[in-house]
Amino acid sequence: MTSDSSSRAVKTIATVSDLSVSFDTAHGRVHALRGVTLDLRPGEVLALVGESGSGKSVLSSCLLGLPPESRRTTISGSVLVSGIDMLSGSASQRRTVRRRLLGAVFQDPLTSLDPTMRIGTQLTERGVSAARARRNLSQAGVPEPTQRTRQWPHELSGGLRQRVMLAMALGADGKLPGPGVDAVFDDEGSPVLIVADEPTTALDVSVQAQVLLLFDRLRREHGCALLLVTHDLGVAASIADRIAVLYAGRLCEIGPTRNVLADPRHPYTAGLLHARLELDENAVALPIAGAPPDPLRLPEGCAFAPRCEHATSVCRDSLPELRSGDTGRLFACVNPLGPEAGSITVGAAAVRRAGAKPAADAQPVLTIQEVAKSFRAPGARRDRLHALAGVSLSVPEGGSLAIVGESGCGKTTLLRIACGLLEPDRGSVHWADGLQPQLIFQDAGSSLTPWLTIGTQVAERLRHEGSRRARREAAVELLERVGLDRRAARSLPRQLSGGQRQRAAIARALASSPRLLVCDEPVSALDASLSLRILEMLAEIRDELKVAILMVTHDLAAARHVAEEVLVMYLGRVVEAAPASQLFRNPLHPYTRGLRAASPTREPGRLAPTLQGEPPSAVGEAVGCSFAGRCPDIEPGCRERAQVLEPIGVDTRRQVACQVAVQKAVV
Amino acid sequence: MRRIVITRILSMFGVLMLLTLAIFLIQNVLPADPVRAYFGRNATPEQLEAKRQELGYDKPLPVQYVDFLGRLAQLDLGTSLRTRRPVTTDLGDFTPATFELAFASVVIAGVLGVMLGLLGTRRGAGTGAVRLVSVMWSSAPTFFVGLLGILLLYRRLGWLPPGGRTSNTLEATSTGFLFFGRLMRFELAGVWDAVRHLLMPATVLALGPSVAIGRTLRGSLRDILRDDQVRTARVKGLTERAVLVRHGLRNALGPTLSMAGLQIGLLLAGVIVVEVVFSWPGLGQYLDQSIDRADFPAILGVVMVLGASYVVINTIVDLLQLAADPRLRSQR
Repeated sequence: MTSDSSSRAVKTIATVSDLSVSFDTAHGRVHALRGVTLDLRPGEVLALVGESGSGKSVLSSCLLGLPPESRRTTISGSVLVSGIDMLSGSASQRRTVRRRLLGAVFQDPLTSLDPTMRIGTQLTERGVSAARARRNLSQAGVPEPTQRTRQWPHELSGGLRQRVMLAMALGADGKLPGPGVDAVFDDEGSPVLIVADEPTTALDVSVQAQVLLLFDRLRREHGCALLLVTHDLGVAASIADRIAVLYAGRLCEIGPTRNVLADPRHPYTAGLLHARLELDENAVALPIAGAPPDPLRLPEGCAFAPRCEHATSVCRDSLPELRSGDTGRLFACVNPLGPEAGSITVGAAAVRRAGAKPAADAQPVLTIQEVAKSFRAPGARRDRLHALAGVSLSVPEGGSLAIVGESGCGKTTLLRIACGLLEPDRGSVHWADGLQPQLIFQDAGSSLTPWLTIGTQVAERLRHEGSRRARREAAVELLERVGLDRRAARSLPRQLSGGQRQRAAIARALASSPRLLVCDEPVSALDASLSLRILEMLAEIRDELKVAILMVTHDLAAARHVAEEVLVMYLGRVVEAAPASQLFRNPLHPYTRGLRAASPTREPGRLAPTLQGEPPSAVGEAVGCSFAGRCPDIEPGCRERAQVLEPIGVDTRRQVACQVAVQKAVV
Repeated sequence: MRRIVITRILSMFGVLMLLTLAIFLIQNVLPADPVRAYFGRNATPEQLEAKRQELGYDKPLPVQYVDFLGRLAQLDLGTSLRTRRPVTTDLGDFTPATFELAFASVVIAGVLGVMLGLLGTRRGAGTGAVRLVSVMWSSAPTFFVGLLGILLLYRRLGWLPPGGRTSNTLEATSTGFLFFGRLMRFELAGVWDAVRHLLMPATVLALGPSVAIGRTLRGSLRDILRDDQVRTARVKGLTERAVLVRHGLRNALGPTLSMAGLQIGLLLAGVIVVEVVFSWPGLGQYLDQSIDRADFPAILGVVMVLGASYVVINTIVDLLQLAADPRLRSQR
């Protein structure tokens, strides 16, 4: 046993012991991490999951030796990477570790690269040769690396920029001497550890699947370890060897992926699992009760106790210590769940999915007919970028429609046209009774006015309500409707959490009694439990207030959860339209099938097969099917013949723009 | 890219044309009658009328404007009432001195501004005091700071001369590029003398702009140093200095440049006061004396030179900004 522990000590490349981090904010002291201990072994993928505010990003930046900079940050404990203390070691030693051994990929590929520096310079700046930089680019899956090195970051798509970040994390050629660290530095010059903080959250499903495949390949080919910070258990499931669950700055549970997912011991882990929206028809999602604790006022005992149905007085009074379970698993819970907790079926509390069908004679609240929109292509003189090439849709009163597709498919342009924020080049937009739809943005926080209270912002939309007092009351009523209380009415946006701000934005949109809410990626930045609650609330608003919903998303599960009908868009065209249940059970268009396959599930070790490449440029006139270049079912005629939407069978709502698929469906 | 540069330069000429139009219109609404000024008080109405016809003042305004542009193209801005010399000749004499002063001032404002901006990114003792002093000196009126400087650095300490461009009395009334001329000829003692004379007026002129530039730089640096891209740079293992210079300063350049452009415009206005205080024989003094005598052709000439400089400088700033931010280049 002693020999085992000593050999394990040698084999860890990063060790976090009893790490606590706290810092002052404007509202008080935040304890971001409270005694976290974990280690990383060479070549291992450790996923760090938890809701926002759980401390996962603080932990990952401590591993990089870049703890949050704030007045009065106090840190105790240690973070060792290959023997160097990343928190108290000398600045030059920590720099050397970063340069030689660590790589990092952050959430937002748009802001992670220096906009004023060419890609090539940003790569060679780390001390790698130009040739090695090109090799790293091609290893990170960047096509035409030589050309890319001469480009600027803003000329690349988000997916490509994230690959450039990865290429930057890959190593240099030959050994460079560094104080005390060259001993563990391998011949290939690969980093030993990549820290990836929500690397795929800002990406489409297909690009996400590509990046995850890439991580997996790098791990296998270079043997580098990966700390993957994510809020999506599906992403964690696909490549992680172990999963660590963080809640309010403490580890709840850590163990092999398979075990943690199959039978979670900590109720919070189980909650996260159940809250996840799945594409699988039989899965029923259930949000975690309550809200994450206020980081300024953490409870004395287990921070999860207030939300836990198994909590006892012991839980509320003392902090549970990590205890070991089976097969290398640790969990911090005095009343752990037994085995089989992962597969419990939820009974009465089950969340209702897509609501009742709108009446057949329901009048559409929005009708869009054959709208097209093109923009002047950047850098081109005559060619135009065709964002929309003839799209029609209608949303019935009290109904819901989701539009899915990758970024660049024209979803956002379509939304802006639907709300009257943009004039189409041709085609028509018609609102029932001339009532303008209300728009809800992805980042609701930034769409609220920072210096006005939530109540004021809702009330100012209620002009017809008469007296000021009546308006105030009506505003509070609306806020209560979306699950916020009277106190929220007096709060400023920054005093609310991300989820609360999203609710406030929805309340504000409802204030002008719209017939249609238009939502742009309403949940893609939120964690599982929170996004489930927001989606549920949207469904409730639709069913009770008879407000129709038009939602744009790249998350198929979210679309399935809310919408009765779904349109799949590709390069400015609708390629498939169908009732949600049919679309996900039996996708016809090869693109829809690709998207569905690329969506992560919580099956351990399942790396989603992915659509190859990225959508081609929408500049210039397209000939033939625009998906032909990426299509697995391509037939000789596809490149010449333009594809038009055709109904399949008797149900006219089921349409697909693919000859091959139509023939298959008929046969 | 080339198209953007050409558009910017063409639009500069457009603005310059508007400037000439403005000056032409001002000339027309001014109460001063150039023909009466030419003859003095004792002219007969017939004489005035004849001269008026001869000079084309009876023609419709648009025609007069075209004539005005024609004369401008031949560098004819009329005759100064005070010096009785062509205004362009006077401007040619006085502009180089002002140019040297403004140039020195811009250099000082840039260096001081960057220093103040970098200082602002550090926390610690002394930075608050520096900020306080810099706000004080930038909010004090220029003439006041100038007089204080003369009292302290000349009367008390005797370190710097109180005014003028040179100690050489033979050259005291000289025109042209004194500092640059001496620099070209490698007259080191002469260069040092010119620098001593430039130092105080140029610094007084630079104080306000330097604080504005420093504040802008500090603000954008603070934001940028919190950005993901800077975190990326740190992860690469770059030293803090490299992070600051290569990524921080490089990205803060854009906003700082636009502030600098605005400030140089203000600096051109401040030149007038500073030249009077330091008896600097430049456009400012010339303007001051011309205002005393209601010498409208001279005044308009100075306005024309300062206005055109402002337009040209801001075009240059625009072009520098294109160089600083590649994202601006790829927009239509």
